[in-house]
Amino acid sequence: MEAFFVIVGGGIAGVSCAETLAFLEPDRSIILLSESALIKTVVNLHAITRTLQDFDIQEVGIQDFSSKHINLKVIHDVLTHINDTTKQVQTQGGLNIKYTYLCICTGAEPKLIPQAKHFEEIVGIRDTDSVDTFIQRISKAKTVVIVGNGGIATELVFKIKNAEIHWSIKDKHMSATFVDPGAAEFFQPCLYVKDVSAPPVTKRMRVQEEEYRKRGAALGPDWYKNLIISGANADIPKSVNLHYETEIKDVKRLERSEFPIEAILSNDEKIPCDLIVSATGVLPRKSFTTENTFDLSGDGDIQVNEFMQTSVPFIYAAGDVCNCNWKLAKHWFQMKLWTQARQMGSYAAKSMVGHLNNEEVLQDFCFEMFAHSTRLFNFKVILLGLFNGQKLGRNYEMLLRMTKGVEYVKFVLEDNKLQGAVLIGETDLEEMAENLILNQIDLSPYGDDILNPDIDIEDYFD
Amino acid sequence: MVVRQYQQELEYLEKISSYCWRIKKGFQPNMRVEGVFYVNQTLEKLMLDELRNACRPGMVGGFLPGVKQIANVAALPGIVGKSVGLPDVHSGYGFAIGNMAAFDVNDPESIVSPGGVGFDINCGVRLLRTNLYESDVLPVKEQLAQSLFDHIPVGVGSKGIIPMNARDLEEALEMGMDWSLREGYIWAEDKEHCEEYGRMLNADPAKVSMRAKKRGLPQVIFFSKKSFYCPFLFHGIKVYIYELDEIYDKWAACKMGIEEKGQICVMIHSGSRGFGHQVATDALVQMEKAMKRDNIETNDRQLACARISSVEGQDYLKSMAAAANFAWVNRSSMTFLSRQAFAKQFNMAPDDLDMHVIYDVSHNIAKVEEHLVDGKPKTLLVHRKGSTRAFPPHHPLIPVDYQLTGQPVLIGGTMGTCSYVLTGTEQGMFETFGSTCHGAGRALSRAKSRRNIDYTDVLQKLEYMGISIRVASPKLVMEEAPESYKNVTDVVNTCHAAGISKKCIKLRPIAVIKG
Repeated sequence: MEAFFVIVGGGIAGVSCAETLAFLEPDRSIILLSESALIKTVVNLHAITRTLQDFDIQEVGIQDFSSKHINLKVIHDVLTHINDTTKQVQTQGGLNIKYTYLCICTGAEPKLIPQAKHFEEIVGIRDTDSVDTFIQRISKAKTVVIVGNGGIATELVFKIKNAEIHWSIKDKHMSATFVDPGAAEFFQPCLYVKDVSAPPVTKRMRVQEEEYRKRGAALGPDWYKNLIISGANADIPKSVNLHYETEIKDVKRLERSEFPIEAILSNDEKIPCDLIVSATGVLPRKSFTTENTFDLSGDGDIQVNEFMQTSVPFIYAAGDVCNCNWKLAKHWFQMKLWTQARQMGSYAAKSMVGHLNNEEVLQDFCFEMFAHSTRLFNFKVILLGLFNGQKLGRNYEMLLRMTKGVEYVKFVLEDNKLQGAVLIGETDLEEMAENLILNQIDLSPYGDDILNPDIDIEDYFD
Repeated sequence: MVVRQYQQELEYLEKISSYCWRIKKGFQPNMRVEGVFYVNQTLEKLMLDELRNACRPGMVGGFLPGVKQIANVAALPGIVGKSVGLPDVHSGYGFAIGNMAAFDVNDPESIVSPGGVGFDINCGVRLLRTNLYESDVLPVKEQLAQSLFDHIPVGVGSKGIIPMNARDLEEALEMGMDWSLREGYIWAEDKEHCEEYGRMLNADPAKVSMRAKKRGLPQVIFFSKKSFYCPFLFHGIKVYIYELDEIYDKWAACKMGIEEKGQICVMIHSGSRGFGHQVATDALVQMEKAMKRDNIETNDRQLACARISSVEGQDYLKSMAAAANFAWVNRSSMTFLSRQAFAKQFNMAPDDLDMHVIYDVSHNIAKVEEHLVDGKPKTLLVHRKGSTRAFPPHHPLIPVDYQLTGQPVLIGGTMGTCSYVLTGTEQGMFETFGSTCHGAGRALSRAKSRRNIDYTDVLQKLEYMGISIRVASPKLVMEEAPESYKNVTDVVNTCHAAGISKKCIKLRPIAVIKG
């Protein structure tokens, strides 16, 4: 078997890469190797500003997807070996596929706490399968411990009903991956409010037939939107116990208790519980062997240069599996997010095509400034640039504006120039903030008036 | 800034007619010419309120009121005539939005200032006519809005795909609408009805920074089942479908191919967005250095400028021209998509639907023009920021179709309000260097009214007016809610009454698509 472009991974990076290639090189053959029979496509893409986009993820069957692009074939199989000398990949199903260009988009998997090996009550959340397992388990649980402080942990804490929740956080405030303590405070009341959003139509996120195997690709943004995550303790009001600056030290099986296990935190607190959810970040997913080894980062990510090329010729990588090893623009940094997986996948395709046709490739502007749009606790959250003062040390100022339950705006300023922003709620400030960060306009003449709630300045800089 | 009481400030302002105020020298330091602004009774109150607010204790610094900004511009080297504030004037970076000023190209001291053009270079409006009527469109209004939405790359169901690489961009920057024509996106006659024929000849892509080019290039490719493509993809595009509501000047309307009430028109509003922002930003940095070198002093640091003849001045004009070309290509792409959408909906070719460009105007631009100053012809660099060129009948730079009527001036409304087409007048040529308003302006820099707007109310209101709304994001409805603007009818009536342009037709929106 042979294809000009071979892409490994049916997640958002791989699919974006394949779709971009199918468009740019309609006459070349493309094979997308997917471990899952469902692959993830981007729908409802909406450009909010120059660098900021919103989108939803839709899972489609392999057949449906392949039929959209005539030069693209999707194979449901698992990569086992790459021979970069003969330019071939081997699969679990025994296929040998020759490639001219190869792009690895195998993503990442949850970094489970070490005790997970010994307890089936400890679960990670990554793909549709693990969500199903989780939902099944939590339906019988009265007390749940959640470990981790990122997006998934935050979403879970917000979404779980009818169970007592213990949230173990290694930082001094919640949701530290995305927001500062001020914003965490802004969100705090939401922890104790029952989710009043309209009841979801469907309980299961699978739209396809049961016999599909759904491994590999991670969940989409808003994966929890249509789920009812409910425990077995309908009597209790929404209760979340926050355990700041703790980690799980140990897990023990309990005898003669209503709870099967007990989590022991680093502060020696003991929490008897039914279930522990480990949401403490991800590790690159590389369950294949290679002839020549890739240069890897300290965390085991595949190093890529500014064209998404790995250290092995004709092999590219994109998404959560790679580490951006180029001189990063001041206002950009890598985070393992949907947004970036999509940008990298698409850009890797452009780079391969540029390399093939010997054309100049300008790096996508999205790598000039970090931009991410998400929802936390039902609020629109937009993160721009060095939104938490990343890379700035302590050498910056914060300018805040907050209305309880309505909006939270934070500007990160260095030398009176905007470096980053957190915009929570309907602030209408994203485009202006983006331009102020990119333009590096001196804001000293305006002082605090730049966020004066009585002044409209959206078109001031037009 | 001079600190004075409001009453003392008023001594520098003089109402010279029902629609026009004079700003005397001394209102701001070093004014070389006087300022002037056009307002009716309502707008006058808004304008003076803003000044009164700024005079309150503790209001020093921050955002200058529009009237102060007009006066600061009057202090720039080389300015001739007056610094003009149009009725929709409101504060902006350096120059107020709605401020025009002309500088004598042959005066070696004369300057060019990016703040006088704005960041969204060649933001502008284009109007297409159709031979459809309200009765054709009303029954299919929803489908048409959907179809436009499908074809114009915004939000849900985007169908835009962009085959544009670095080389295409270079060519587009240099060629403007000639590029669109060569690539088959527009009709040859579209160019006739654009300022500068849709191409600034002094554009030089080599003067545009790599960062600006990257910021202009589409970064991601948008996919769809129906493979439909356009060369640019932007946020910040608005397309309005209007029906003709009222004709004030039947003869001029006829010349534009607009004959009867109820006739359907399409308005496209967009600019150069991030690309223009980068061009302006790059220039501001260069000009700050040039100001030190050439000892140029201004009242406001935001008025960074360079002598027209200096390297910095010339580089800016060349890259600004490239950004202007970029904006025209963008509006041309939207024209192409709109024509496709109508053709699909009505199952007729766009030319059978008579979808010609009535005119295309630029709101944020600086151009070299010939004007009479004190009876003598002079070559001027005219800055128009949030202001529209409005040349009178018989002017050599307007197309043959409009030689007798004067140049059409397109005034964009907001989502709930009407839109107007005016024509240029001799009086405007004489008083305002052939310039008029550009649309509704912010009521005040204060946001009182806006913060009170409840989004649901806005939607309800628009529903009640019979406008079908598609918004890519709810916030965009609020951003342009009628309440947060100076009423466009007041603005247009002021221009008409003051004689600086003449009302021709009024258009009523029936659908809006925003990206």
